Amino acid sequence: MAAEKSLAIVVRMVEFSETSLVVSLFTRDFGKIGALAKGARRPKSAFEGALDLLSVCRVVFLHKSTDALDLLTEAKLVRRFRAGARDLTRLYAGYYVAELLDELTHPGDPHPDLYDAAEQALAELDGAGSVTAVALRFEMTALRILGHMPSLSECVGCGKPVEAVGRVAFGMLEGGVLCPDCRPGKRQVVSISAEGVKTLQGFADATTEAWRGQTVHPKIWGELRGVLNHYLANLLGKKPKLHEFLGTLAE
Amino acid sequence: MAQFSATLANLINHFAKLPGIGQKSAERLAYHVLRVNKAEALALADAIRDVRENLHYCQQCYFLSEQDLCEICRDPQRDPALLCIVEQPRDVIALEQAGAYRGLYHVLLGRIAPLEGIGPENLTINALIQRVQKGEVREVIMATNPTVEGDGTALHIANALADFPVQVTRLARGITTGSILEYTNREILADALTGRQKF
Ligand SMILES: [Zn+2]
Ligand SMILES: [Zn+2]
Repeated sequence: MAAEKSLAIVVRMVEFSETSLVVSLFTRDFGKIGALAKGARRPKSAFEGALDLLSVCRVVFLHKSTDALDLLTEAKLVRRFRAGARDLTRLYAGYYVAELLDELTHPGDPHPDLYDAAEQALAELDGAGSVTAVALRFEMTALRILGHMPSLSECVGCGKPVEAVGRVAFGMLEGGVLCPDCRPGKRQVVSISAEGVKTLQGFADATTEAWRGQTVHPKIWGELRGVLNHYLANLLGKKPKLHEFLGTLAE
Repeated sequence: MAQFSATLANLINHFAKLPGIGQKSAERLAYHVLRVNKAEALALADAIRDVRENLHYCQQCYFLSEQDLCEICRDPQRDPALLCIVEQPRDVIALEQAGAYRGLYHVLLGRIAPLEGIGPENLTINALIQRVQKGEVREVIMATNPTVEGDGTALHIANALADFPVQVTRLARGITTGSILEYTNREILADALTGRQKF
């Protein structure tokens, strides 16, 4: 049982007893861990109030080799997520970042690049960043890093380029756009406007920060939520809890 | 431990379900119940039955009560223009022990926690809005926990009350009395600055 250190984002907290918490942490170096924080609910605990949802902490924990909970021994606050006291859309987008980290990743599967993207997304949501743009960028980044990025320019059936004109078919089960030849006979196919496809392509492109200049038009946001909510629900085998709130985020 | 008695094992199992009670403590409690005189043991059973049969939530504020309205809501000395919003009945008890508040309460029976599937409709927020609609309340004091979820819950309620002629305030938070400014952590200092009051 070794003591490990890492940066971590608190993605879930459940009261375990009168004085203790069970926390889900997305750590930079070890991926998701579940840990028991003994005494965390006492006023003068070793965690000094660092353990709150969406907080970034520097943690020390004892890693259990079996599937038992790890034991959190230290948590020092790096940054608290404060937007919840002034703006509910920022708060709910922050909750969604936490939900995606918790639901899309597995214990013992570290992704420092995803951690960095999440920490940055939370900082921007807590600041002045566009809520829909930051949320969509993080969603696409998480899908890319975890190998679930839908194909947006080439047909998932045959690999031919699919041009974003008129309306483009998107296969939920195939995971991407479909050319007119491959579309017939496929189940769970929706059609997306050309502007919607281009928006997704822009936010998915890891080689550029051009998305920062982009605003998501409320109509396009609504359309993309329909597609992405469906896609993620298929991927996770259940409807993410925050999806019903995301529809209300359009600025 | 050999399970020589099914009834004893049953009692141990029930004690072990209590928060903070492990198997060893559960056994100790069960043997204690066997050791004390019968009247004392049965008084414990009666107390549990009593609390579940006679105590429920106050129809107005959702604090614990043995009647339709709790003791606080029935007290004519209390100022009905002041309404303090808390998450749990135990928060009312803590504030009452502090002894500085003479208004009424509204207990939410939880907090908005979307990641746990708890939305505003699962709390007593609609009842709160109906209370404020009646027009007697002039100030609503948010005393939800100073956590991300507690703050979010308070903001949701403040937004829902925006159209009513009530003042919405929240508990001050910040530097503990008797502590030293230079050693206060910067998060607490930031809270204290945000929540500064008129001198
Ligand atoms: Zn094709
Ligand atoms: Zn009452």
